[in-house]
Amino acid sequence: MQTSARDRGLAVLGSVVRPVVYIGLSLPAILIVLASFTAGDNLRFPPEGFSLRWYSAAIASEPFMSALWTSTKLACIATACSLAIGLAAATAMDRYTFLGREAFRTLTLSPLIVPMVVLGLGLLQFFAWSGLNQTFYGLLIGHVLITLPYVVRTLTAGFILFDKTLEQAAMNLRAHPVTVLRRVTLPLLAPALISAAVFAFVTSFGNITLSVFLGFSGETTLPVQIFTYVEHNYDPILAAVSTLVILVTLIIIAILERLIGMEKLA
Amino acid sequence: MLDSLAPRRSWRDRAPLLILLAPPLMLLIIFLILPMLGLVRSSFSEGTGPSSFGWTLGQYSKFLTDTYYLAVLAETIGFGLIVAVACLLIGFPVGYSLARLPPHKRRWRLIAVILPLTLSLVVVVFGWLVVLGRTGLLNSILIGLGVVDTPQRLLFNRTAVLVVLAQQFLPFMILSVMSVVSQVDPVLEQAASNLRADRFTTFRRVILPLSMPGILSGMTLVFILTVSAFITPRLIGGARIQMVGSLIFEQVLTVLNWPFAAAMSFILLTITLLVTGLANTALAVKMTSGGRHAN
Repeated sequence: MQTSARDRGLAVLGSVVRPVVYIGLSLPAILIVLASFTAGDNLRFPPEGFSLRWYSAAIASEPFMSALWTSTKLACIATACSLAIGLAAATAMDRYTFLGREAFRTLTLSPLIVPMVVLGLGLLQFFAWSGLNQTFYGLLIGHVLITLPYVVRTLTAGFILFDKTLEQAAMNLRAHPVTVLRRVTLPLLAPALISAAVFAFVTSFGNITLSVFLGFSGETTLPVQIFTYVEHNYDPILAAVSTLVILVTLIIIAILERLIGMEKLA
Repeated sequence: MLDSLAPRRSWRDRAPLLILLAPPLMLLIIFLILPMLGLVRSSFSEGTGPSSFGWTLGQYSKFLTDTYYLAVLAETIGFGLIVAVACLLIGFPVGYSLARLPPHKRRWRLIAVILPLTLSLVVVVFGWLVVLGRTGLLNSILIGLGVVDTPQRLLFNRTAVLVVLAQQFLPFMILSVMSVVSQVDPVLEQAASNLRADRFTTFRRVILPLSMPGILSGMTLVFILTVSAFITPRLIGGARIQMVGSLIFEQVLTVLNWPFAAAMSFILLTITLLVTGLANTALAVKMTSGGRHAN
């Protein structure tokens, strides 16, 4: 009897913790979206009335809109670079054995292990020495670095599931190597490539911890702009801008969910 | 694989490999290894400006002899441990149930776990300001319930920082536990219950040992992310709660004392590398000694 009480306790605890976790994880985002439609002048919850005035304020705000553009541009270019470099790295590790392959694997994943604040200072100082300081390229290089581990990891997993006999079959049928790549290899790798690209994009688009060190005068990314704004102000325009960030992220994730399903991400 | 096993390795065969390796290697050597070496170099510099020279251990002794900095360091490590344990306790039941759910039930729950990870950190933290602020959700609820009469100060304290950090990093723990539990064959649990073990015993003797790798890697990740945090302590903790990350941030962008910031960075990096190393060693030991139990 004692044991069954222990079991019941465990079950009850689990059924309490789980809903709290699912709600708690989404709560901040949901509140932002709700608060952004306020008609009042103050950021409060529950919001006062309903209006879109803070959205028109956000869209009229030059700093926020140019930051949104910078973030989008940066995330697109960083994703493309990271995908190309990550594909090269993953292919090399999958198709060849070479001296130091495991060391190379560790190296490609290591931007994840280094604390972002440390990487931020390291790059900031290095860019200051090499003249890349406060340029778009500095920011881009930083974002390629931090998205690369996700890309390499996802593509490596994709290669493991990859059936190489299909490539060999195509080559036996005298397909040109370029044709094999275009008609066999890339389509088979497509799910891994898409999830790698999505992960790289959202990582770059939302990044604050590195961008805040490399952000440059004149052009900043949207998360950095939100951060500097929230340090001194606290008004509903932030909720409207943050809702735009949530929207972009949701759209990207929804595309992924549609194309290959969420299971692939985990 | 087949090509690479061929006995002769001429330059012709290796050329594609070199072409593949060159871009990632160049990127990582120039923009990861060199900057880290530069950081080590400048942590030994004299002076306080962004460009300092000379050799000294002064920056390290400044940090390691000042009780204020040591207290911040101790608190940062304490935060890391608390958040890691909290994430484990809350995240394990969720990760376990996710791994055992049928796919159609798992879908939306998985989205709820992954979305916060993909969302910008600064947006998540701002969401918490809406929850905890003077005019926020929690104060409205407290006043509505008559618990308090006036809005309370819920921000700028340790508990708030810990809660927000734990919420941010919880998904990592959940996913880590989920991936390792889904490798554990449910047949093992059925076998345990056939042998009349209750669920608690099954959990303690079967599930827990087998999910140790996921628990360890999840906790390591959460610990590292927590000790490196600086956005959350700055916005949620304000000036009252300092962590090593926020000290570094302040030294870099406000005080402009880069050599001192570099020394603190190096100390932080050493801690995270030590913890990663320890966890990997523990895992390796677990794998070799636990092998016969697992099979």
